[in-house]
Amino acid sequence: MANLILDDICVRFGGLQALTDVAFSVGEGEVVGLIGPNGAGKTTVFNVITGVYKASSGTASYDGNVITGLRPYQVLSMGIARTFQNIRLFQNMTALENCMVAQHSRSKSGVVGAILRSPGQMREEARIQEKSQKALEFMGLGDVTDEVASNLPYGHQRRLEIARALASEPQTILLDEPAAGLNPSESMDLMNSIARITELGINVLMVEHDMKVVMGVCSRIVVLDHGVMIAEGVPENIRKNPAVIEAYLGQ
Amino acid sequence: MRGSEHWIHMEFFIQQLINGITLGGVYALIALGYTMVYGIIQLINFAHGEFFAAGGYMGVILISWLASQGLHPYACLALALALSMGYCALLAMAVERLAYKPLREASRLAVLLSALGMSIFLQNGLMLTQGVYDKGYPTEITSGGFEWGLVSVSYMQIFIVGLTATLLVGLNILVFKTRIGRAMRATSQDKVMSALVGINSNRIISITFAIGAGLAAAAGIMVGLYYGSVNYSMGFVPGIKAFAAAVLGGIGNITGALIGGLIIGMVEIFAAGYISGEYKDVFAFIILIGVLYFRPSGIMGENIDDTRV
Amino acid sequence: MKRLLALIAALAVMTLVLTGCGEEEKAGKVLRIGTMSPLTGPYAADGNDIRQGAEIAVEVMKEQGGVEGYTDIQLFSQDTACDPKQAVAAANKLINEKVTAVVGAYCSSSTIPSSETLAEENIVMLTPASTSPQVTERGLPYMFRTCGRDDHQAPAAVKFMKDVADVKTLFIVDDKTTYSQGLADGVSIAAKAAGIEVLEHDHVNQGDKDYSAVLTKVKAANPDMFYISLQNSATGALMVIQARRMGINATFMGQDAVYHPNLIEIGKNAAEGMFCTFGAIDKDAPAFKNFLSKYKAIANNEPGAYSAYSFDSTMAYMLAVKAAGSTDPAKVRAELMKLDFVGASKNVVYDEKGDSGSNYTVYQIKDGKFVPYWNSLTGDKY
Repeated sequence: MANLILDDICVRFGGLQALTDVAFSVGEGEVVGLIGPNGAGKTTVFNVITGVYKASSGTASYDGNVITGLRPYQVLSMGIARTFQNIRLFQNMTALENCMVAQHSRSKSGVVGAILRSPGQMREEARIQEKSQKALEFMGLGDVTDEVASNLPYGHQRRLEIARALASEPQTILLDEPAAGLNPSESMDLMNSIARITELGINVLMVEHDMKVVMGVCSRIVVLDHGVMIAEGVPENIRKNPAVIEAYLGQ
Repeated sequence: MRGSEHWIHMEFFIQQLINGITLGGVYALIALGYTMVYGIIQLINFAHGEFFAAGGYMGVILISWLASQGLHPYACLALALALSMGYCALLAMAVERLAYKPLREASRLAVLLSALGMSIFLQNGLMLTQGVYDKGYPTEITSGGFEWGLVSVSYMQIFIVGLTATLLVGLNILVFKTRIGRAMRATSQDKVMSALVGINSNRIISITFAIGAGLAAAAGIMVGLYYGSVNYSMGFVPGIKAFAAAVLGGIGNITGALIGGLIIGMVEIFAAGYISGEYKDVFAFIILIGVLYFRPSGIMGENIDDTRV
Repeated sequence: MKRLLALIAALAVMTLVLTGCGEEEKAGKVLRIGTMSPLTGPYAADGNDIRQGAEIAVEVMKEQGGVEGYTDIQLFSQDTACDPKQAVAAANKLINEKVTAVVGAYCSSSTIPSSETLAEENIVMLTPASTSPQVTERGLPYMFRTCGRDDHQAPAAVKFMKDVADVKTLFIVDDKTTYSQGLADGVSIAAKAAGIEVLEHDHVNQGDKDYSAVLTKVKAANPDMFYISLQNSATGALMVIQARRMGINATFMGQDAVYHPNLIEIGKNAAEGMFCTFGAIDKDAPAFKNFLSKYKAIANNEPGAYSAYSFDSTMAYMLAVKAAGSTDPAKVRAELMKLDFVGASKNVVYDEKGDSGSNYTVYQIKDGKFVPYWNSLTGDKY
């Protein structure tokens, strides 16, 4: 059963048609790649799913519930987390705090309990901290937990973004160019990480330019060009698809 | 004779130091509200001084009423403090909801004007409901103290400094050790991102207003108790001073608000004590301008801030 | 375009004609009096007293049958906020309301500039509270003062210090208004002339609540008397509370602006024993008792320090109009100069300058009340 379903999504910014009738799905255990030339509307798709932009028409649904029109924090609490193309960590917080903050919607203690340090609140803090620690270790960041994010090397920051998304305990994770700026060996590590993420039972939707990564990890690929879906299929078919070749070479 | 004169100078200095810490503590508590709100939505909340005044009024009303119910004075004080802080927290949340939230996407000037309007509205509201006459605080709870020669420390001063310290420690725990605090820091750094990690920024902004106003209410009660009365326009001058303190410390920075408050308090007291009372504001603002000239972001501003809210 | 201009011109002329007719009709019937006092800001308490004092006077006059030739007496109140600029604006608003007299203002720094504006329109101004000598020293024909003058108050206070309280050393604090600093300077000069040592004359700012720094100086100087010249009774109360808490043992003395029930209400024990100079008001006199009962009944609170002066100022003007049979300023002035009536505050008689004499008395706060202590005119204790 498909988890995340996009149904004829259209997005217009003034006169500009950013997305036209985009429709695809991300199912259980899948790693779906979303590719296309620059400006094809890939990040716009992410922004529509996560509630940053509103779709002009069409709906997105998740587990049978419509999510278009929800606020970003509500989308997250449904189990969809994301990372950013240009890293958007909380630069002044430590790696651990970055992960802890991501569990905001999974915890509930209020102001009064927090100030009084009630036992319930202390237990919750401990639980959040433990999960964050695990997420960091999963992404190989176990030894930099107390480092301030802005002091981490670039590759670590990329991984911290994924760790933060994982810390919110998503069922689906949206990765926006996770391999951008990574060297070949770091890209290999990333591919391993993505494989292990799917082993946790988390579905992945990934925008990526690095074809080696895309072809290596994706079970299915969706191709966008100028906001229109031009192809969808398994990696081998996409590689041979003339429309895709045209879109990439034609520019 | 020389020795004793030396002692008088020493005692004079110590007394002024104590005066400065007390006044600085009050400024710091008010400055925190400015700085927290600025940190989270980059708004100078001109109405903040009115929360201070409203807290002072609520305090005297509650203390008198509770005392008439036969409660022990200290119990009255504690209860009045808690209730006034709660009241002002709710008031601030309402103000935010009414006057600032609808303007979240508007230009900063629009919000600033809305804040100014809110300040006038609240001040006149206080005037119309509470009257133009000063309201005296009961002085019985606040009398007494220690005395060594020229130096006298009243229980009230100890209470003010103690309560200020307690509230600051509480605030620090809240901001740095709890999930709400993390969410506040996250929202102040990147509102879009914090929404994407699941934080309802409107709620966090509302909580920030509430906390700032709660602290201002506590300051209002302390001022009422310490100085003896409250009136409807009392928020204006301390509001300006506390705003200066927040800017001096580096607006948006909690530690900065504390340092700024203490500096402004000290400078005022020492300028009045050693030069003349009429120049104390001049010196306070000279220090402010001087610091901003060399460090435009304030003492603890931006570049070294991991304490920003 | 031309037609549009013509239309606008026609409309404008019509408006003028219409309002002109309206005024003519009204002017014959309603006596319009303005009040100016700080209704907002730190001095709103005194400002309110002044407005209420005038309101009570109008009520009393109406009860007594009003002023002949006028169907009604209307009061127009404006806020000065004790700010010179706002005071001038308030004066202009009252001119637009077509008042023929103004009772006010409170702060001398408001009264002086606004009186210039009113003088241009020949509007009578009667101040119930501004004690700066300047108010009546500028030769304005329609400026009257029902309260006393600071150049009488300062010598009275110093005479009391020297002759009665046996003061050798003095510490003076003011809050830098035209009135409060002017009076404090006067006290300082008179005290030096009388051989009293002025240890220091310091200043605080309006709006301050914290006086600890200056009070620490007072404590270190240890004067016989601490003279407090503040613009407001509530701030005066704050100062005495903080001074007593700090353990200052000097005798406190204040002036007419801190003389107010508020000082006792807020200052409580700290204010006990303090002296204040204020015009002698005989609270047992029938005129005052009559005023007091009316005031309590109508305003529903106790009169403040200047309520009685405001009442008398308003009453004086209405009596003068009654006698003159018109609001013509020259005729009213002539009647005011002839006036001699027993008011709530004193026997009101204006001299050539517009002053009505000072009768400063030293009051002491005893058991939560202002009690007359020493009369500066006779030099006797009560």
